[in-house]
Amino acid sequence: MNLRAISGKIRRNLNPQTILSVIFIVILGYVVVVPLGVMIQETFTVHPMERFQIPGSLPGDFTTHHWWRTFVSPSAYSFFYKPLINTLIISTSIAIVSLVIGGGLAWLIVRTDLPFKKFLSNLATVPYIMPSWAMSLAWITLFKNPRIGGSQGLFQYLTGITLPDWFSYGLFPIIICLSLHYFPFGFMLIAGALRNIDSQLEESAELLGASRAQILRRIVFPIVMPVIFSTFLLTFSRGLGTFGTPSFLGGPVRTYVLSTMLHANLVGQRPGIGYLVALVMILMGALILYMDHKMLGARKSFVTISGKSGRSGLTKLGKAKVPITIIVTAFLLAVTVVPFTVLALESLMLIPGNYSLSNLSLHYWIGPPSQNIGVGSGEPGILKNTAILKALGNSIKLGVVVSVICGVAGMLIGYTVVRTRGTFFSKLLDQMAFLPYLMPSIAFGSIFLALFAVQRGPIPSLYGTFTLLVIACVVKYLPFSSRAGIGAMMQIGPELEEAATMAGAGWITRMRKIILPLQKSSFFSGLLLPFISAMRELSLVVLLVTPGTQVATAITLRYTDRGWYPYTNAVMVLIVLAVLVTTYISRKLMGTDLAKGIGG
Amino acid sequence: MLKKRISLLLIAALLVFATAGLAYAEDLDELIAAAQKEGKLVVYATTSRINLAAEAFQAKYGIEVEAHRLSETELIERVYQEARAGVNAVDIVLIEDYPSVKELLINTGYLVNYVPPVAKEYVPAEYHDPLVFAYISRIIGYNTEAFESDPFDSIWDLTTPEFRGRVMIRDLAITGEHQNAFTELIRRSDELEADYLRRFGEPLQLREENAGLEFLRRLVENDIILMTSDTRIAEAVGQKGQENPPVGFFYVYSKHRDIPQKDLALDYSSNIKPFLGYYYGMYIQLAAKANNPNAAKLFANYLMTPEGYEPWSSEVGFYSMNPEVPPYPGDMPWEWWKERLWTYDPDFAIEHRGIVLDAWLRAVVN
Repeated sequence: MNLRAISGKIRRNLNPQTILSVIFIVILGYVVVVPLGVMIQETFTVHPMERFQIPGSLPGDFTTHHWWRTFVSPSAYSFFYKPLINTLIISTSIAIVSLVIGGGLAWLIVRTDLPFKKFLSNLATVPYIMPSWAMSLAWITLFKNPRIGGSQGLFQYLTGITLPDWFSYGLFPIIICLSLHYFPFGFMLIAGALRNIDSQLEESAELLGASRAQILRRIVFPIVMPVIFSTFLLTFSRGLGTFGTPSFLGGPVRTYVLSTMLHANLVGQRPGIGYLVALVMILMGALILYMDHKMLGARKSFVTISGKSGRSGLTKLGKAKVPITIIVTAFLLAVTVVPFTVLALESLMLIPGNYSLSNLSLHYWIGPPSQNIGVGSGEPGILKNTAILKALGNSIKLGVVVSVICGVAGMLIGYTVVRTRGTFFSKLLDQMAFLPYLMPSIAFGSIFLALFAVQRGPIPSLYGTFTLLVIACVVKYLPFSSRAGIGAMMQIGPELEEAATMAGAGWITRMRKIILPLQKSSFFSGLLLPFISAMRELSLVVLLVTPGTQVATAITLRYTDRGWYPYTNAVMVLIVLAVLVTTYISRKLMGTDLAKGIGG
Repeated sequence: MLKKRISLLLIAALLVFATAGLAYAEDLDELIAAAQKEGKLVVYATTSRINLAAEAFQAKYGIEVEAHRLSETELIERVYQEARAGVNAVDIVLIEDYPSVKELLINTGYLVNYVPPVAKEYVPAEYHDPLVFAYISRIIGYNTEAFESDPFDSIWDLTTPEFRGRVMIRDLAITGEHQNAFTELIRRSDELEADYLRRFGEPLQLREENAGLEFLRRLVENDIILMTSDTRIAEAVGQKGQENPPVGFFYVYSKHRDIPQKDLALDYSSNIKPFLGYYYGMYIQLAAKANNPNAAKLFANYLMTPEGYEPWSSEVGFYSMNPEVPPYPGDMPWEWWKERLWTYDPDFAIEHRGIVLDAWLRAVVN
């Protein structure tokens, strides 16, 4: 083959989708694969404060000491294995509990004659919209016992009962709080799958004389099973990387998990061990991706645009209908309205723990800085605090910028993956765009710190810049929008574009005139989830923010550390309100659907 | 006679003061002139009162100041990452945890020491390098409602069943100064062992290498409660109306300033042996590549004057090493504290704090 032939071949293949796939693979390679290499390197390097424990070493030297300490040394159990066991217990438990609650709800709402379906299914997505640790804040406020001293919890205030430590702190409340946060995830996925079962299958089975049980076992389960498995794995992987809840509820009884150990080592100037823990978390994430992939063969979007008619197969709840409706409604209200109300109420109580009317105050919202009243000496109310307002502004800015970039990139990735389907590039891009989803958030944050803290080649140091936050969030949430993008592109055949090409339309025109209009709703759905996630993100950004780039969630952590809960709670209320309002408006205006972004 | 001698002394002192003041004023005038030509000064500090000092400085010299309050680990990490990244954002820091600062920021050339004219003049040379802005004390506190008198005789009391699940401490993993302080317990293990014998009449049985680590382990195994802030410890310990209140171990004494405002029943143990707690320095350091080096120097000078120290002057638990700064009458004098508190040797601390953190994590993970 001569040169001309080669260049001709290249030119023939030089269509927009190939160019796009190459560009995306290069970028993702840099922000996903290179960081992994950097981390591995760090685990073999002596860092300044570590040198005293490695006799005769200097910073920058090669060492296997961190590996020995983490996995083999007498401290290995405390440094690694015990936190690992706790992490596995938490992740497994929340995966099971979310599956049971989410699956149960999905079945009730999709497959039975339960009333108020629309209202209930909207309500069921709310806990996922709230920051995961909003629940743990509410938990502490409600159920804290005298172990951590100070004012008493609301439960004790009302009943006089002192709760045991295991109920107030540690594994139990961590599992409950995270499960209540992640069950909507299972609900959306499984509800989507249940909706997609063609009722004709079941009707035919019924005509052929199959019993209800047989239909469930032979038709419904085989179709839903992969989704259930996938839901389990995905919830499990979210449990691995979460930081706020275990840090907050585990501390008082000294329950460490991998994410809190990673954090302790990184702030304690022991990056060697820290990155090693992060690496293990990422490996576990990758293993889950692999298992998920094996299980499903080719990964598909479960939540396709459904239009299956005939809801004839709805199970009649009969006599149980009223009690079940009451239970479901009460449960959903309890996990949405109650935490929110508790937080809002707490922000209005001048002296924490005193719930009398005379103690109601707007001090933490609009009060002047004061050394004499309130818990925070010299701290102004949050609406008068420029640092807080700036952080809230940063959060919103981050949400908007990240969601727009994610939305556009997600759609282009969807377009590229679907149009180059069957090629190696298509598969690679699909996988790479999904990989960040499984990386534990806090580990992901630490990689970005390692990667961008110093100048590398042409890329300058981005430490302390807003750009770094944007890049980290875009890459982390890209899976949401690329899922949405791929799912949506699957619905559009190439015929329309081919026709347009015949009529002489260029690529830009085709995108503008055909793809975009058809994708409008999916596009905005793809925007919504990154926006919500960025607004409420903590684990990912906790290591990356600086005073200048402070975001609202991270600033609340600082309040929490100092015990200034009313301020934390007030900020939380603002964040939740902002996210809820955005979700509501986008649903009304753009017809967005949260579930579209969450495909497995 | 006596009166006469005093007035003579006063005159002598004034003379010394006046001549010294002249040289100092000359240095200062140059500094002010140079500083006022520079831009906005950026300060990172671990104390929130820095904002008050910054405002007063701005009013006095017309130099704009942007002050950020950060936790001690955050501050070190931030200066370290910024210096590595070549971001010269900060001009001057008020920083704690000197062993880490020395290792990460001074040995690497990111921070430099500077002795301003006023410090040269009045502050004894032993506090010049690194320049001590103030010493801070950490104490052991109890609830005065639950205990009518000081409940402690020895620090080993904290490891007894009476205080099981009742001792609160700021998590060592996020508190570099605690790690430093515990290295001193290792270094002075003999004294700890002797005190155990004095208190219980029998020798200490060691499971760890030395009495310092043994104390750390017993303290943790007595179901210690980890907290994330000293503020919360002081509140939790001092809250009135508690049946079985916790005790606070090694929290910053300055939290006692909140006692009237928060209506706390709180005092520190003054009988506990062999130490009442420990002290550590808060140091002033300049960024080696400061954008506004003269403004930074002027601010350093200002902070070392009684005027600049004003925001901290009516605070218990903060001690200026400038004799011109009047001691706070609501607190015991520094000399009293210095005899009763331990501190640590920075070189010994940096080499041994890894051992402390290891022992801590081994014992603490539940």
